[in-house]
Amino acid sequence: MSASEHKMNCSEVGPLLVFLACDELTAEERTNIETHLESCADCRVLLAEEDALQECLATIPQTADELDRSGTLLAQCRSELAESLDEMAVPAEPERWQPFGLVRRWMALRPGWSAAGLLAAGAILGVQLLQWLPTNDSRLNGKAMTVSAAPKVSDEQLAKMAVYGINFAPTTDAAPGTFQVQLRAEQPLVLSGNVDDSDMRRVLTYVVKNSDRFDAGVRLDCLDALKSRIHDMEVRSALLDAVRHDQNPAVRMKALEALRDVAGDEGVRDVLLQSLDRDANPGVRVEAVNLLVRSLELESSARTAVPNEPPEPPDSDMPMVAPNAPAVELPGAEPSVQRVVRALQDLQRHDPNRYVRLRSAAALRQIGPPDAQ
Amino acid sequence: MPLPHWTLALADNAGRSGGSDAVLATVTSLSELDERSLVIEAQAGNRAAFEELVRRFDRDVLRLAMNLMKRPEDARDVYQEAFLKVYRNLHRFRFECSFYTWLYRIVTNVCLDHLRRRQARPEDQAPEIHLNRQDEGSRDFFEFQRELRPGLDPERRLMGNEIRTRITKAMERLSPRERVVFEMKHYQGLKLRAIGDVLGTTEETVKNSLFRATRKLRQELGELR
Repeated sequence: MSASEHKMNCSEVGPLLVFLACDELTAEERTNIETHLESCADCRVLLAEEDALQECLATIPQTADELDRSGTLLAQCRSELAESLDEMAVPAEPERWQPFGLVRRWMALRPGWSAAGLLAAGAILGVQLLQWLPTNDSRLNGKAMTVSAAPKVSDEQLAKMAVYGINFAPTTDAAPGTFQVQLRAEQPLVLSGNVDDSDMRRVLTYVVKNSDRFDAGVRLDCLDALKSRIHDMEVRSALLDAVRHDQNPAVRMKALEALRDVAGDEGVRDVLLQSLDRDANPGVRVEAVNLLVRSLELESSARTAVPNEPPEPPDSDMPMVAPNAPAVELPGAEPSVQRVVRALQDLQRHDPNRYVRLRSAAALRQIGPPDAQ
Repeated sequence: MPLPHWTLALADNAGRSGGSDAVLATVTSLSELDERSLVIEAQAGNRAAFEELVRRFDRDVLRLAMNLMKRPEDARDVYQEAFLKVYRNLHRFRFECSFYTWLYRIVTNVCLDHLRRRQARPEDQAPEIHLNRQDEGSRDFFEFQRELRPGLDPERRLMGNEIRTRITKAMERLSPRERVVFEMKHYQGLKLRAIGDVLGTTEETVKNSLFRATRKLRQELGELR
């Protein structure tokens, strides 16, 4: 043993193992610990645990990777910073002559008096003007006309635009649900409002439907915004379109999630069955299975809510859990239930992914009556 | 000669006319400058040089902010506040340390302020975003498949989800300073000495913070080992 080596005991080595595992010890400390480890099994176990923790930390995904996979947030931050720098660079405007400056200053200092004065002036003006206005104008008695405001974004603009950011909380004092969509068409345009705004909805559904033109992150944001309006047929059709045709599995998954509450709808169910058959991503197929189960739950709860409808006859042949069991018809079951069960059986037997097969088996058990489980 | 993609994007974002060769030429040449020259240019009032400095570091800054704050809107606030502070105080930078260290000192101080404010007034805060939403009842773990690397064994993946949840929970128990140290060590890959420089403290203090943070994590993960 060299002079610099110091014989360490377990109580000294223990606290240093975390730094050994993350490579933060001096060469001398490292040598001393390694000497101790050769003869101490307990400390070797502790070191293995530290190493396992380090390995685990290295493999788990980071929040930043998950939250800004598409780089949209970074682009937004850059653009906001550039705006702030622009504002800082603008010199303060010199004071100009202002009309009624004296009156405005007086009013600013006496807000109560000003408000009362303005109200009185308005009332007098209104009363005086009324006698000059025609009161029996035939034009006012004609048929009511519906006037729709022209859309803020034209079809041509939609066809040329690039959406480069959706900001879900533009300001701290904005109403809940308000967000901004930053567009770049022939000139930059910022739409601000909530999903109840028809223009906003039009832009969002356009983005979802045209998946080849927009970034996946933007499409995910649009789906997030649209999911609260799933009962709107146009929105629903855009989401179904995304489930069928979007090239990104995360987007397809998100669209499926958004359809959760309307899974009982016949059209939605058709698309779910198509996904089981055609979607290349096992995660999406599993989500489709979940929604199909939910659709049957929704349907059965709707049926029990109708008092005149006869109850479903119990059916002991329903569950098909054995992977190689033959297809079983469900006498007495609704045709829609039979379709779903057939699709799940098919999936359970032929899906290339083991977990999709397992999930479809579990779904079949879930659909079956309790006595058969 | 085609220009690099980011060069065009920068010219576009800055709102300048796309066809100005002079502007693009300036930007292209700025990208070739080293860090020190860029800082000197920016100190002399060259806005493009400052923007180039921002672009060299802002990806890492945003990553750090997002990993620490766990909420995109907070990370965005940190980004803005930090770079505006850098812009306003750049004339005070005297090259006594690297620009990177100086920048990170500002960023971590802004993060610490936000985290302390959040700890002091938890009732005003929206919950942090937990990537692993296992508390959502019976939802299948396949729903989160897109968040995970393909090819992992499903059992390990499930375990990974559990570990990630526990780590996130344990991170919430760390003090703001422990959280910053842990993040910079494990996810930014800085040595303890460099973290000490950034935080304006000794390596020994940083070591203590890392030790405490790791101990809390190990306690949280205890049952999984």
